[in-house]
Amino acid sequence: MRNPLTVLRRRWSNDETVRTDGGTSAAGSVLDRDVVRSAPFWLPPFLLIGLFIYGAIIWNIVLSLTDFQGLGSPDYTALDIENYVIAFFGGTPSWSELTVSPIWNSAWNTVVLMVSFSVVCLALGLVLAILVDQKIRFENTFRTIYLLPMSLSFVVTAKFWLYMYNVETGLVNILLGAVGVGPIEIVQNPDLKLAAVAFALIWQFSGYAMIVYLAGLRAIPTSHFEAARVDGASTIRMYWRVIIPQLRTATVSALVVLTVFSLKAFDFLFSMYGGYQPGPSADILATRMVREAYANGNWAYGSAIAVILFIMALAIVTPYIYSQYKRGEL
Amino acid sequence: MAATAAMNSNCSEHNPTVSRRTVLTTTSAAAVAGLAGCSGGGDGGDGSNELELLHAWSSGDGNAAIEALIEGFQEEHPDVEFAEEPVNGAARSNLDQVISNKLQANDPPSTFQSWPGNHLATYEGAFEDIEGDVWNDDLKENYLAGPQEQAQYNGTYVTVPLNIHRINNLFYNTAVVEEAGVDPESFSSPSDVVDACATIAEETDAVPFAQQTSGTWSTVQLWETILLGQAGIDGYESFINGEGDSEAVQSALEAVVELSEYYPSDSSSISFTEANTMVMEGDAAFIHQGDWAAGAYSGADDFNYGEDWNQVTYPGTSGSYLLNMDSFPYMANNPSPEATRQFLSYCGTAEGQVLFNAEKGSIPPRSDADVSSLNQFQQDQYDDFNAADNQPPSIEHGLAVTPGVKTNISSAFSGFLEDYDAAATAESLIGASN
Repeated sequence: MRNPLTVLRRRWSNDETVRTDGGTSAAGSVLDRDVVRSAPFWLPPFLLIGLFIYGAIIWNIVLSLTDFQGLGSPDYTALDIENYVIAFFGGTPSWSELTVSPIWNSAWNTVVLMVSFSVVCLALGLVLAILVDQKIRFENTFRTIYLLPMSLSFVVTAKFWLYMYNVETGLVNILLGAVGVGPIEIVQNPDLKLAAVAFALIWQFSGYAMIVYLAGLRAIPTSHFEAARVDGASTIRMYWRVIIPQLRTATVSALVVLTVFSLKAFDFLFSMYGGYQPGPSADILATRMVREAYANGNWAYGSAIAVILFIMALAIVTPYIYSQYKRGEL
Repeated sequence: MAATAAMNSNCSEHNPTVSRRTVLTTTSAAAVAGLAGCSGGGDGGDGSNELELLHAWSSGDGNAAIEALIEGFQEEHPDVEFAEEPVNGAARSNLDQVISNKLQANDPPSTFQSWPGNHLATYEGAFEDIEGDVWNDDLKENYLAGPQEQAQYNGTYVTVPLNIHRINNLFYNTAVVEEAGVDPESFSSPSDVVDACATIAEETDAVPFAQQTSGTWSTVQLWETILLGQAGIDGYESFINGEGDSEAVQSALEAVVELSEYYPSDSSSISFTEANTMVMEGDAAFIHQGDWAAGAYSGADDFNYGEDWNQVTYPGTSGSYLLNMDSFPYMANNPSPEATRQFLSYCGTAEGQVLFNAEKGSIPPRSDADVSSLNQFQQDQYDDFNAADNQPPSIEHGLAVTPGVKTNISSAFSGFLEDYDAAATAESLIGASN
């Protein structure tokens, strides 16, 4: 009978058994497994991401269940969903003397902005990518021109569009005037505000969608184009039936990034309207969240809005990613 | 720096190539030393002579003012050092976030730039009573009732107001109003301003009333001034106490709607600076702003007070000095108790306030200051201040209402700027404090 200690020692030590093929086998030794031996490389980033991304998300969710407000520290012993009830139905929460209005308005604006911005950006990016892909002259120049706005910060583009939308001297109104329309108030016009913001964001980010699609197009073998031609497909039919279906992966990656950018529209609104009060027609969840958290000190309620925003972003991206996963394209 | 020095010495003395390990070791040692240095500087402990002062005056006249104040203080107290930290970025809102974070980490600064009054509710419980040693009889005698009330939170003296900007001035370009044949000195009510704007629109090419409307703050300021002018001090005070009369609120909003007819057509795309420049260049007649507008005028060549520009107290508000103040509160759990008290006491002296306000363009909150070193406009403002019947706190500038109510009021105005619906906005404003 073997001493169990000897077995254990052998398991944990570097005793290598000679395999029949002449190599050595580390069977049984935990320390010698690939996953353990590679740990120094994957573990630190894994822990850091776990802590700072997923840990922070979980902490935020827990925080949103507290009544944390003002100074001091949150009380984690009494968790409830009051903040979510307030967010959806409004009312006077236990942590405040003031009535808090529900978030429907900003939530709706957020969805409109997120969807219109992402869809138009993708469509425009695709068209641009196909045009640039036609072996034209100065292709690099065009590519740079389309991509350039993305390198600017939201602060710059917001101030820039504030000038562009100027009723008297803005280029937008001058162009409208040339076709006999206007001049019209845009920046503080409740009917146009959100569209104006979306337009500016599309201007800034359609170049990004173009680059992603261009890379996707370049990855498609020329033979696919040629085969479609030989089979007699028209240009439109060729792109619609043969090329675009192969760009799904590019669409997913562009969509995820664009959705994130639309959430960051906060910076844009903050610069354009000189603070986090863009007005009811352009108020998004991000501005509402910052108002609650930093202007009013309602930390827990701000966290609840952040969680709702997080779920909305997931709800928009997840179905698409899941369908791609089912197709085995991710 | 330490790492670089170590590397240099290694290079010159031993061998020309430094191994990666050496560099890594030296760098991390330097980093550790740096961290230790940080934490060492952070805890002042009791009786520290290093005063941690946080403010948002990182440039321009504000920065010159705080430097003048600190210089003046250090002449009297050369042993006190300053760990002075301008918090950069979007001025005050950034500063408030920094303070909140520090207080939550239980690491309060000695003092920081803060609006007094109801804004102090943001940091409720983080202040300490300074009645007696800082707020002594001298300060109590020489601060007028209005500013003195703002220095208290729930009846306790916690902060020392340092300067006053007036909110109810109406500035104008003399040449433009003369061309239109309008005499602002004769105005007696807010509606006279509207009538004058109509005349100016008829008689001149200038924009009658310069204003920016991309952000809410200028419009909130204008509305609160008109409310004060129409409803008087009692009507104004009942609003800020949460018992506002909806008709009075709506009537003031309607006056703003009337004035908005005379704004620049591109008011939503311009900033306050651009609106103010219109007045300086004769493209606009009036501008309603805090008296920082005058700071830009005094910096301009050939644009002189009394000749090229002038001001009247906003018609209807003549007995009131609508306050916007900055102050330095005393934080509980103070890292430098003695030095902070000395500094706050100095901020309460006429001498310190004159040094600060000469640069800042505002006036001292003490009524006994020798203001001869301030410019003529400031001296006139100071005379108005001392002659005023009352000194109500500003709503937009955080004194009159708590931060939550102020957010509601700003939100109401963000809607008002979209549709100018006075009735709906009045309803939101009345509901702002519920």
